[in-house]
Parts: sequence; C-alpha cells; structure tokens
Amino acid sequence: MEWLRIFVSRFLGLLRKRKLESDLDSELRSHIEALTEENIRRGMSREEARFAARREFGGVEQTKESYRDQRGLPFFETLAQDLRYAVRMLVKSPGFTAVTLLTLALGIGANTALFSLVNSVLLGNLPVRNPQELVVIKYTDSRSQQANEDFSYPMYQAIRDKNTLFANVLTRSGLDFNASYGGQSERAVGEMVSGNYFETLGVQPFLGRLIGPEDDRTPGAHSVAVLSYGYWQRRFGSDPGLVGKDIVLNNNPIRVIGITPPGFYGTELARNPDIRVPMMMATVFRPVPANRLQSSRHRWLTVLARRKPEVTLAQAQASLDILYHQVLSAELQELGSTVNAHDKERALASRIQLEPGNQGFAHLRGEMERPLLLMFSVTGIVLLVACANLANLLLARNAKRKQEISVRLAIGAGRGRLVRQWLTESLLLSVLGGCAGIVVAYWAKTALLGFLPANFSANLHAPMDLRVLGFALIASLVTGLLFGLAPAMQLSQTGVSLALRDDSPSIASGERLFSLRSALIFLQVALSLPLLIGAGLFLHSLRNLRGVNTGFVKENVFLATLNPSMNGYPQERIKSLYDDLLARVRTLPGVRAASLTTGSAISGSWDQEGVKVEGYQPGPDENMSPNAAVISPGYFATMGIPFVEGRDFTEQDTSVRPKVAIINETMAHYFFGSKEALGKKIGTNDDPKVPPDMEIIAVVKDAKYVHLSEAPRRHFYVPMAQEPRLFDMTLQVRTVDDPEKIGDLVRAQVHDLDANLPLYATTTLEIQIDDSLTQERLLTWLSSLFGLLATMLASLGLSGVVAFSVARRTREIGIRMALGAQPGDILRNVVSHMALLVIAGMAVGLAAAYGLSRLLGSMLFEVGSADPLAYAGACLLLGVIAALAAYLPAQRATQVDPVVALRYE
Amino acid sequence: MAQTRGEVLQGTLDLIVLKTLEALGPLHGYGIAVRIQQVSADLLKLNQGTLYPALLRLEQRGWISSKWGVSDNNRKAKYYSLTRSGRKQLLAETESWERMAALMTRLLGRAEGA
Repeated sequence: MEWLRIFVSRFLGLLRKRKLESDLDSELRSHIEALTEENIRRGMSREEARFAARREFGGVEQTKESYRDQRGLPFFETLAQDLRYAVRMLVKSPGFTAVTLLTLALGIGANTALFSLVNSVLLGNLPVRNPQELVVIKYTDSRSQQANEDFSYPMYQAIRDKNTLFANVLTRSGLDFNASYGGQSERAVGEMVSGNYFETLGVQPFLGRLIGPEDDRTPGAHSVAVLSYGYWQRRFGSDPGLVGKDIVLNNNPIRVIGITPPGFYGTELARNPDIRVPMMMATVFRPVPANRLQSSRHRWLTVLARRKPEVTLAQAQASLDILYHQVLSAELQELGSTVNAHDKERALASRIQLEPGNQGFAHLRGEMERPLLLMFSVTGIVLLVACANLANLLLARNAKRKQEISVRLAIGAGRGRLVRQWLTESLLLSVLGGCAGIVVAYWAKTALLGFLPANFSANLHAPMDLRVLGFALIASLVTGLLFGLAPAMQLSQTGVSLALRDDSPSIASGERLFSLRSALIFLQVALSLPLLIGAGLFLHSLRNLRGVNTGFVKENVFLATLNPSMNGYPQERIKSLYDDLLARVRTLPGVRAASLTTGSAISGSWDQEGVKVEGYQPGPDENMSPNAAVISPGYFATMGIPFVEGRDFTEQDTSVRPKVAIINETMAHYFFGSKEALGKKIGTNDDPKVPPDMEIIAVVKDAKYVHLSEAPRRHFYVPMAQEPRLFDMTLQVRTVDDPEKIGDLVRAQVHDLDANLPLYATTTLEIQIDDSLTQERLLTWLSSLFGLLATMLASLGLSGVVAFSVARRTREIGIRMALGAQPGDILRNVVSHMALLVIAGMAVGLAAAYGLSRLLGSMLFEVGSADPLAYAGACLLLGVIAALAAYLPAQRATQVDPVVALRYE
Repeated sequence: MAQTRGEVLQGTLDLIVLKTLEALGPLHGYGIAVRIQQVSADLLKLNQGTLYPALLRLEQRGWISSKWGVSDNNRKAKYYSLTRSGRKQLLAETESWERMAALMTRLLGRAEGA
C-alpha cells in the first residue's frame, strides 16, 4: 500500500501547488539566512557570508526543481504541459484541426459502428447464467457433411433422460400465434419450450413465475404462457395486473403466469419470441400431425444442453453419440420394413456434433458473419488510408515548424522530449477525433440497423457498451500512434544548424521528406483501389440481380397473408372463408386479378414436397422433392406467368373431381425429357403402394421462386380445392395502378368476413423483391461509400503533396522558366513523379484486389472475381480523380512568374 | 579516490537523516544539515540543498512528519520529526546496513589477507 500513499501525497502535491511552492520558498530562504548568519558569526562580511552560504547550499533553483519532481507527478505535469501546448497549436490552425478531426471522426466512427455490430452479433453471449457451459446439439449427415439441428421429441426425451454428462437439456420450437386481448387480435411471434427451459438457462422471472417442469407434463393440459418484457410493455402497457389474467391464443384462453426479464431474448439473437407456452401444448397449437410428440419421424425441435462444469465438449460428444445411435437403431427396428435399407444405413451413419452454445442457435451469426467481417475490414482499410493522409498532413506541417524545432533543440530540448510532445499532439487529435467518432458511430449504427429487414433490426440493438467504447478508445490511440509516429521521428532528426540557417527551401533539403511522403501516397493509392474494385464488383452483381428475368410481372401486385387455421376453424370454414375472400376482392375497383398461394414469390420461404412420377425410376439418393405450392385458380394470370401448354385450374377442379397438378418447364424436362408431360401422373403420397394420382394438366414457364439468384428449380402446383388441409395463404392482388392503395379495401373485406382474423405481412411484390436484396444493397452502398471515401482521402493527400512540392520549388521553377522551359515541361516535371507513384500504387492495388476478390466469391451473382468491368471502372475512376488532384495544384506551377519567383524569399 | 568521498548514496542519506532525527528530536532542515556536517566532520561533502528532496521523500513515505514552528532565533521554520513507522524503518535499515558493513569488512579483510 505504500505506493498508494506516495501517489496520493504526490497527487495532493499537484493540487496545492501554489501553497507548497511558497512554503518551499520560505523554508529554503530561512535555511540560507541561517547559514549566512552563521558565517557572519564566524567573521565574514555580510557580502562574503551570503556568497559562502549560497555555495554551501548548492543551486537553489536546482534544489527546487528536484524538490518539485519529488513532490508532484512529473509524468502528468509534463503531459498537462504538452496538452496545453497541443491545444494552443490546434486552436492556432483551425483549418488543419477541422480537417483532421473530421477525417478521424469518420474513420473511427465507421469502425466503431461496425464493431458494435460485430460485438453483438459475433461476440455477444446469450444473456443467461454461465453461457459458456451451453452446447448446441446437432448431427452431421454422413454423406452431405451438413450439420442438421432438428430432433424428434422422443429423441429429445432420450437425450434428456439417459445422458450422464449434461446437467440439463432443453428443447424449443418456434411458432406464430394469433393473439387476442381486449377485442384486438394480432400476430405474435411465439415459442414452445420444454418445462426445464428457464431452469436450464438460469433465468429468473421479472414478474410472476416462469414455465417449470410442472407446466409440461400432460399433452394439451397446460394453458399457461409467459410473455417477454418487450411484448408486455408494447402490447399491454406494462400492466402488472396482466399476470393471472387470460389472453386468447389461436382461440384458446391461456393464463399469463409471468414476464421474462428485460434483455432476455431466448436462445437466438434477433429472434425474440413474444409469447412462450409449454411444449406439451403442441397438441393444441400445432395439432397436425396429431402424433407430433410421439413420432420419431417428425424432426422439428432444436436442442440446447448445459454441460456439467467438469465435462469437456469432446467427452460430451463421444458419450452422446453412443446414446444417439442406440436410440436410432431402436427406432429403425420399430419402423421395420417401411424404411428401406439404404435410408437406414444413411441414418445410422450420421454423427452427433456438439457446438459451443454460448451464443445459442447462431443462425443470424452464420448469415452475417462474412458480410460483417468484410465491411469491418473495409472500414479498417479506410482508417489506414486516413492515417496515411493525416501523417502526410503532419509532415507538411512539420516542414513549417522546422524553425521552431531548431530553436527548441538549440536551447537544450531533448529529442525524446520533442518526440513525446509531438506524439501528445497527435494523440490529442486522435482521442478528440475518437470522441467525435463515437457520436458518428452511434448515428451510423442506427442508420445501418435501419437498413436491415425489420425483423432483424427490431431485436438487434447493438448497444454502445463498454466493449465498444473500449474499442473506440484503442482504435483512437492506435490511430494516433500510426499517423503521429513517423512525423515525430522525422522531426526529431532535424539538425540544429541546418534549419537555423536561413530557412531556404532548397531542393536538397526536400528530398528525404519527399520520399516518406511519396511512400504514403503510394500506400493510399494501393489501399484505395481494392476498395473501389470491391464496390464495383458488388455494384455489378446488384445490377445483375436487378436485371434477372423473374418469369413473372412484379409491378402492381399487392400481397397480404392470413391464417384462419390458427383460430381453430374446421377445414370447411377455412375453405369457404378463402373462397369468399377471393370472390369479394375480385369485385373491388381497380383489381385486375386476385389469387391465393402458399408460396409467395421471393419471400425467402418455400415448401418442398417429395413426389413420385409415373414412369420415372429415381436413383438411391436422388432428390425427389421439387418446390411445391398450393394455389387458387387465377394464380398464373395474377403473376403473369405464361403457359407453355395446357390449362389453368378452374372452379370445377374440386375435391370430388380427378386430382390435377401443374408443373414448370424445368420439372417437365427433368422427369420427361423431350416426351409429352401432359396427361402423365405424379403423386405425393409417401406410401409406396399408392400409385401417382395427380394428372398433369399444364406446363408453365419457369420463374424465380425463393431468391433472385437461384438456379432454375423444379416446381409444381396443386389446386387449393383438392388440398385436404389449408393453413396460411398469401393473397395476391394485381391492380390497375398503385397496389398499395388497395390495402385498406382488402383489410376492410377481411375484417368484414371475420373480425378475429389478422392480416399480416402486407406489402407489394416489388417491395418484397427489393427486401430480398437488402444484404446485397447494403454491401454495395457501404463498399461504394467507403471506396469513394478512401479515394477522396488519397486524392486529397496527393493534391497536398503536389501543392507542397510546387511551393517549395517555386524558385527552381522560376529559374527553369527563365531559361526557357515551357509550361508543359514544367507540368510534366512536377507531375511525372506523382504519376509514377500512382501507377505503381495502382499496380499493387490491382494485384491485391485480384487476390482478395476471390474471397467474395459466393457473395457475387454472375460476376467473376476478375470482372473486367469492375476492374477497369475502378482504375479509370481512381486515375481520373488522381489526375485531377495532381493537376489542379500543378497548374499553379506553370503560372509562376520567373521574376517574382526569383525574388521570392 | 577523492571524488567518492563526497558522494552520498540515496539510501545512506535517508538513514543519516532518520538517525539524526532520532538522536536530536524534532529539527529543521538547517539543523539537520549542521548536525550532519558536525558528525561527519569533512568526510561527507553534502550540498545542503539536496537535503530537501530527501526530506520530502521520507515524509511521503510516512517515516517523518513536519510542522511549521519558530526557530531559536525567532525565524519561521519547518520542523521535522520521526514517526512510529520511521522508527521501525530506522531499526530495519540500521540492521541491514550493519549486516552489509560486516559482510564488506569480512570480504575486504579476506581479500587483503590473500
């Protein structure tokens, strides 16, 4: 503790400086006076005595100085002194300060904003107890090597009850609810959770109690729910009286028993369920298939376990794999001959794979990892370019301060001390810039989140927490060192005599300086070009996506989804409701066509269904599951998808008539080649004894179904009227003009038909397609923005260097012109060095871009990583900007008047 | 070597000051300087000014404390006195100094004998 006492006393010494100073003064004075008197007593004259006393005492000022060093904190005092000086220098050149701070604020701000996203998406843990003990349980398919995380309920039970190395194993499954309360219904995001869910995660209720094992015993018997804090706040105005009351979920009264704490979002980032119900309620909320909780064939659950602290991931995996195979063999035994030998073998060859679960189910992370890291690297490069630029600015300023340095050196300043002071200056700049950067980052982060689809951004907050602020601070300090070190070192090498001589800007003294500054220009060009090329690649890719032939007419289509099955209606009522709705909407003014479908185009979701095809023998592992959609008559007319041959479904294709289907060209070609497809039969019944029973009545043109970038897919359609069970369907309405105008009319019709039926996901086809390109658009905009920013910084630097060299060489240019050089010669002379630098930088930048762009690969659509358009465009743009940046200041050199130039200085 | 005679090791000066204060009780800087000179005769050549940073250092460590008072000839002066932990420190340092001195004596004695 002694160091602490010393520090405190020294620190107090700092604060009471004036008082202590006068104390010291009088103490020393009285010492010298006492000495003097003593000397007089010994017989010296007063004058002599005083002199002797001084000699005996030693240097008064030196004593004071070393006393002060002992008293205060010299490090901090020097720092304060340097800071004061630095502030004075910054205030004196407001232009320089403003440019520097702006550059830094943008550079550090962009990095911090990206880091806040990286922090919450890639680094953040689940907000639960000891998240590092959690593991996600998956299994790997032996052949495709793909990890799969869906388990059946019996398998979950086996893992939960028979394992020995986990403290607890939870399961969950997402679903949506039609939630009503106080006469108002809406769609809510929900989750079914096992009874040990909250216990395993270690979450305490905010209000009431949470779902426990006692709430998850008997199928269908536990009508309780837990609400999330956000939903409770948003929908119920934080009413504490809600706990104990009933809300209506899919027409079932459900008792609210508690509220989860704020900040808890469950087991997956950016998917934040509003309502959680016990897993046993699956029989009520997802009644089909009825044996959902008993069947080992329905894999619909994700499983998260908490490892016992002493157990490693590898041990748990080995032990669980054995258990998994035991259960699997027993299940296959039970299924007997309904599963063929090939499939059995394949199932048994799968392997359990455990992954760290500290981030829960990291789907979002998998999706955003590459784009995020890419953009984070891009902002890092921009910051580097900014550093190089600032280093250049400081070098230019050094040149102006040479005389000041020489004077300081001449009167005894140490070089180390000078370097320290210069570094203090650049660190002050970078920390100030970093503070402004935090503001920029906050703003930029909010803007970035605004770009993401609403279902992400609503639950992804990316808070500016301590880690983010710490990052901003470290980024600032590193930046300050990066751009400050070279100028400071260079400055400290200034010779005393050299600079003190009449400061003539001779050509020779400029050489060293010139080369360091050239290197920085070269670096900036070499760093900026790959960014521009990256932006070009994304731009080209986005253009390709926008230009994709979708196979349908995307303009003027209104979309809305509804799900009457959630209200527990019988199938007849659902069917008549859909029919009535279609009939009503078709008579609305401005409606050209209307239809219903289970597969809304480019919505990112799709259905696949296994088929058997008349006269087609599939191979052992052949994928026999084309995309499938259930549609109403008029679907193809609404979408503008042309028929190749055959007819549309009609009102006559009812459940009592022969079954029919429509397939697309790719599917026709895949199964029937050049032979006629019309009249052939396909079937979806998975019992091998039932022959294909749906007659193909038409072949339609291909379209894009899930993503714009997809390869042609096999796709078939079946009529709504012949589908035994209907769930949610999307209504699509083709209008004469602006499709958004029809929204309110449609909503009124739905409300009129059934007031308890929420209409959700209302949008237009064009917007839905645009939303599907969010990530591509974001990448394109950000990479263009940062690419241009880096290029602007580089060209500013270039411009500055040219202007500087012209200014220094005014006299030389004057002489040349007096000797008869033409303006063109001068221009060439001034710019040629720069041109070489830029070309060299571009060459290196090109090579780097070529190497790095391979990494983009899968993020690009129909654009090779060596896309000539992007490379040529980027080079041209950079070349033109660089030429302009060099030409404008160089132009001034040609306007030098020889007479003036020679008198200059 | 003439020069080494005048040099005072930092730790040594601390020890001397502590010992002086123990022997004479509260004393001002001048008093301490005079006493050191008296005791050491001419063996120790000390710039009296260097005493003050040392006094401050000892005070910061809590081994001595200071108080303003009036000197014999009616002058305002700062009086330093030994604290409890200063006494302990003096004891410890004296011991280690004696051990060191004994060691050096033995070492040098043997070297001469050889």
